[in-house]
Amino acid sequence: MFAFDFMRQAFLAGTIVAIMGGFIGVFVIARGLSFITHTFSHIGFSGAAFAVFMGWNPFNGLLLFTTLSAVSVGQLGVKYFRRDASINVILSVFLGMGILFLALSTNQASFVSNILFGSVVGIGMKEVWKIAILSSIVFMCLIVGYRMLKFDSFDPVGAEAAGLPVRKISIGFLVLLSIAVAEAVQIVGALLVFTLMTIPASTARLITPSIFKMIICSILLSVASVWIGLTLGYYTDLPISFFITSIQGIFYISAILFHQLSR
Amino acid sequence: MGYQLSLEDISVHLGNEQVLQDVSFTLNAGEFLGVIGPNGAGKSTLLKVILGIIKPNKGRITPQNKNSVIGYVPQSRPMDMGNTIAVKDFVSMGLPHSIRPWLTKKEKHMVNEIIALTQIGEFSHKSISELSGGQKQRVYLAQALARQPKIMLLDEPTSNLDPAAQEQVTSIVRDTSNKLGIGVIFISHDLNLVSQYADRILYLTKGNYAIGTVGEMMKSSVLSQLYGTKVEANADGNSFHISQSNQSEPISSYSYNGTE
Repeated sequence: MFAFDFMRQAFLAGTIVAIMGGFIGVFVIARGLSFITHTFSHIGFSGAAFAVFMGWNPFNGLLLFTTLSAVSVGQLGVKYFRRDASINVILSVFLGMGILFLALSTNQASFVSNILFGSVVGIGMKEVWKIAILSSIVFMCLIVGYRMLKFDSFDPVGAEAAGLPVRKISIGFLVLLSIAVAEAVQIVGALLVFTLMTIPASTARLITPSIFKMIICSILLSVASVWIGLTLGYYTDLPISFFITSIQGIFYISAILFHQLSR
Repeated sequence: MGYQLSLEDISVHLGNEQVLQDVSFTLNAGEFLGVIGPNGAGKSTLLKVILGIIKPNKGRITPQNKNSVIGYVPQSRPMDMGNTIAVKDFVSMGLPHSIRPWLTKKEKHMVNEIIALTQIGEFSHKSISELSGGQKQRVYLAQALARQPKIMLLDEPTSNLDPAAQEQVTSIVRDTSNKLGIGVIFISHDLNLVSQYADRILYLTKGNYAIGTVGEMMKSSVLSQLYGTKVEANADGNSFHISQSNQSEPISSYSYNGTE
């Protein structure tokens, strides 16, 4: 399996994104941003379609749209954006735009499949480097802002009372999340970004109440699911995303059972 | 001399309503000030003014830059994910901000000391969701203490607690205030509790206030006039009964400034 460049690159990119997704996911769950993550991925789809229409690299369009939307959401206020109606409107408008850009561009069939369902085995070394650099930035920011982010995510009332710059933290986190989503879209696709950003963290939450252990656990579960998914995908020729999501589903259900039994 | 907080002629209008008018008092280091008054009297507003969340329309608070010295325990704490985290994690989140993601030996020692002081050691490894109301309040208090505050503001920390838990939480606040020299502003509806632990009492109602020592404030005649209904205090002034009959003058006509 590792004799092939494309598999080595898939493992590298998948591992990097899994580590980042597992880490940032703990805060996504704590801040109740699962559906905003989902919305970002759809906005990213529209951005990638726009890039294809313009003749750019799809990843750049994806990153541009998700980052801009993160800043807008941060300015508007997450509470406003979290409302059902707001999410429905934004999701619909951006999906509609994506379809328009696709209709206007000539090169669309493989692109649609790659963006919606992921294309980890089609990733080149150049993309791996790009993912590695962006992930390092996200990782560094999460580590430097760890204490403030932890406080604001797990106890927003206490953080505000302690005088933390909660609005700045919120905007900063959304920008990091938008970068993470843009990267994850390439691995699992826009439809399943949810998977990497939420399930490992939700599972870890059931296993331990310690935030540090939760992060480690979430990263390990995320990496394990990507590795197993890639391996099974290679040997069975079935979609890797299917295996990643199924494995994470199994982890989650097992964690619920563990949680119930240990109470 | 310890840390002092002074409010001079603080007035706040919210919409067309005058919530606080010309409120002045000084909170000394280690002093426990109980704040009582009916719902909507501006008790929480007073805390938000001290915190700097609400800007007063008039008046002055000194020192002005006090954000880093205040520990605040809010009235309600809606938490979802926060409920599932470990008590020790929750307390350490209150430590002064740092870009270092891990805790130093000194910080760990400080967290352990606060855990001992607030008597939460026996369940510090548990998740918050497993705790009772009184235990949770002690954890919230511990988190606020982790900031090493000079002043603590507690907004009805004993509401929804059973009498034993109310006593325990208030006595821990009192002991902490004495040991660390922290000035405490403690909002409560329970006259018995406040009179037992406070050094002074601040009575607030919309647009009016009264402040004095427990002995001065907790008299049947004073309380009846303040509440606008009959309040009976026993001989030693340590227990109170508020009756439903409206026998006294309404509070709007009352003006008393205690020892200030």
